[in-house]
This record gives sequence, structure tokens and C-alpha cells, in this order.
Amino acid sequence: MPLIRKPPSPPPTGVDPPADPFAGIAAADAADRWAAARALADHPAGVLALADALSRETDVRVREAIFAGLSRAATRQSAEAVLPCLRSDDASLRTGALDALRAMPMAALPLLPQLLIDPDPDVRLLTCEVVRALPPADACALLVALLDRETEVNVCAAAVEVLSEAGDASALPALRRCAERFADAPFLGFAIKVAAQRLQASAPRA
Amino acid sequence: MPDPDPLPGLNEDEFRRLCEFVYRRTGMVFTEAKRYFVQRRVIDRMAATGAATFASYFARLRTDLDGEVEHFINAFTVNETYFYREEHQLQCLTTDLLRERTRRRSPSLPIRIWSVPCSTGEEPFSIALWLLENWPQVDAWDIEILGSDIDTRALEAAREGVYGKRALMRLPPAVIARYFEPLADGEWRLSEDIRGSVGFSPVNLVEAAQTRPHGRFDVIFCRNVLIYFDDASRRTAAENLYETLLPGGYICLGHTESMSRISPLFEVCRYADAIVYRRPLEDAHG
Repeated sequence: MPLIRKPPSPPPTGVDPPADPFAGIAAADAADRWAAARALADHPAGVLALADALSRETDVRVREAIFAGLSRAATRQSAEAVLPCLRSDDASLRTGALDALRAMPMAALPLLPQLLIDPDPDVRLLTCEVVRALPPADACALLVALLDRETEVNVCAAAVEVLSEAGDASALPALRRCAERFADAPFLGFAIKVAAQRLQASAPRA
Repeated sequence: MPDPDPLPGLNEDEFRRLCEFVYRRTGMVFTEAKRYFVQRRVIDRMAATGAATFASYFARLRTDLDGEVEHFINAFTVNETYFYREEHQLQCLTTDLLRERTRRRSPSLPIRIWSVPCSTGEEPFSIALWLLENWPQVDAWDIEILGSDIDTRALEAAREGVYGKRALMRLPPAVIARYFEPLADGEWRLSEDIRGSVGFSPVNLVEAAQTRPHGRFDVIFCRNVLIYFDDASRRTAAENLYETLLPGGYICLGHTESMSRISPLFEVCRYADAIVYRRPLEDAHG
């Protein structure tokens, strides 16, 4: 019989979590910080330490572990911790924050109305993607309100795209009004037409 | 050409809306050619969930009410598992992955391979059989194969090593003759040697406290499970898998899955027989 053997006894050495993740998250070595970030995600007091670390972390993989930990915690505090990254000039940081918020939509929900009226149109645009993860009624209410006041065509386009998946027929009047306000933006008109068709198609049939 | 058999409850716009969501959520792509196939299964799921309209079903699916995403995916995927499933990855294991893993290491160190989730054992036993049949160096190395699953009943069945004819359908007759004994009721039992060569353990992939004790592996087969997880769980599972790989170790996913959509931790490796993912060699994270 060739050498395929039963797993050895005693079992192999396991992977040890760091002894002190609160110290490890500030370590010089990125590997130590990565392990600490993962450990803090499971610690009751870990969110604050992760939030603090996120503001200064430069290693992409450690940042990813911090975002994953914060979204796993899924508290208002952890959602608030990632918000500053939505304004970052670093695309990976913005994307990481967006993914983290999408992964904890209900924790992010109380923060979304304010984000959707943020002075920065990029923040409003990204927030539309977070809304996508919400239940239909919440998503529809937030995006219909946005469409009726929004002045940036690209933000409207993002909202329309999300509504075409997450919305329902109650969004149709707001879509029509938006199309009228941006009559000189043919791409938005086309997006609204497609979204309206989809929402109409799923409306209760008489 | 008109729709050959339009079905109630799913029109063209609904079909596209569904497809876009499914792609974003799971990576599964349904083209227009699959429309009838998709419609049938959606209608089945609407009936099963009591959804009167597509809109109400789609809302259920999007919010994963009562685990509907899993039910939906199951309706589209081959749930039965069998020996030598996705054989191209086994070919890649012996042609490329083990060659890389054994290039600069001492034969005194065992090669560790993890099949997770392993269900009722077909995959880890397939790995054992494939290595015995197809890897000339099999006698030169200690090889440890471990199968793990969250379902302890499946693990019990795996330890029994008894399979029906369908599970063996892809195995060459000579392999069946060599490693299986026929039982009276049309089933087959794996030889004791093979059963003894694979260990089994329970694990929940999103719990680091459960993955860590398994140690580190050279190759992990993690096929068709991440597709079921939500975004947060998928990322946590990816980190746990990363942590249990040795630097330079490989992970093989199902053919509809992409680690690049989940985590930036891994490198993509394109080999002749399969695309797999690797923990960077120089990386000491975790």
C-alpha cells in the first residue's frame, strides 16, 4: 500500500491567534497586524480598536481584514467607523468601505439618509450601492426621496440602476419626474426607461 | 422567433432582473439560451414558497428570507456528489500543484490536503484514489488527506465508505475493481486501506476557532460552498482558508466560483487543467 496515511496523532500544530491583539494591531509587521485584526473581530471591545487601526492602516490586506471584522460586528459603531473611508481618494479604501457597508446593511441603515444628502456627490453615488442591499421597502423609500431632490445626473443614474433591481412599482412616479428633469441626459432617460419597464413588469396585474 | 413556450410568472424584464441579481450575488451566469431552464426553476421555487408573483418571490430571494438563496442555488446546481467530479482539478493537482509543493521541500514533511466541505466523502476519497492511480511520486511522500464538513451525519456516512452505483459512475472499472468491494444490495464499500487513509472532522468555515486547529495545508479543495454564503461570511471564510494554507499553498474552488470576487489575499494561478488560487509564497500573514 502506498504511503497515504491516516492523519497523525497527535494532530498537527494548529494556527494560534495572537496573544494580545490590542497590541498586535499596532505591530510593525503587517502579518502581525493582519492576525490581530482577525482576532479583534471576535473580541467584544474590538470594534473601537479596529476603527482606530483603520484610520492609519496602509497595508491593503490588513485593511481588508479590518473591514471584514467591522462588517462582521455589524453595529452602528462599526458602520460609522468605515464612513470616513467613503471620502478617501484611495479607490481601494472607498471600495473596501462600500463592501463593508453592503455587508452590514441593517447596521448602516440609520446612517443612510444623511449620507444620501451628503454635500459630496461621490458619497451619495456610493451610498446608492449600499441601499441595494436593503429590503425593497427601505430601498425604495430612500431612493425615491433621493431622485426627487438630486441634482447630479450620475447620482440619479446610480439610484435608477439600483431601483431597477431593488425597487417596486411605487418608484415609477419618481422615475418619471426624474426623466423630465434630466430630459437633456439621454443615457439617464434610457436607464429610467429600462428600470420602469422592469418595475412595471413586476407590478400587480389588474 | 417568439418564445416557444412562455411560462406564467416570469417575463423578459423579470428574467433580466433576476439574472443580474444572481450574477452579482453568486457569479452564476444565465444567458438568454438558459431562459426556459431558469423559468422552470423559478416557477418551482415560487410554488414551493407560496409566492403568488415574481415580485414577491424576488423580494424573498433578495433578502434571503428563510435561506431562499440556498434553495435557489440548489435548484440550479448538481447537488449529488460523485467520485472524480471535476476531474480536471485532480489532474491539475498531480500535474502542477504537487510538483510546485514538492519542489524544494524535504520528504520528511507530510503533504497535507484538505477537502472542505467533504459531504459524504466522495471528494477526499477521490483525491486518495487519484493520487494512488496517477501520481508516480505517491510512494515517496507522506500524504495526509482530511475531509471536513459542518454536517456530522454526512461525516458519519463518509467514515462508512459505502456508495451507490451513481457515485461511482465516473470511475474507471479497474479502479472500482481495485478499491471497492460489492455489497449485496447493489452498493459498494471502499477498501479498508482507503477508508483508513482519510481522516474526517467537523468544521464551520466561518469560525476561525474551528478552522485553526486543523493546522496548515498544502492544497485545499473548497468547492461549491462559498457561493452559498452572504458577503460577510464569504470574506470571513476566505480569510480562514487563507490562514490554514501554507505560504505557496493552493485552494481549488468550484467552476462557478472566483476568489478574486471575494478577497484580495490570493494570487490567481492559471494552469493547463484548472484555474486555482494561491497564498503568496513570500507572504507570512496569519
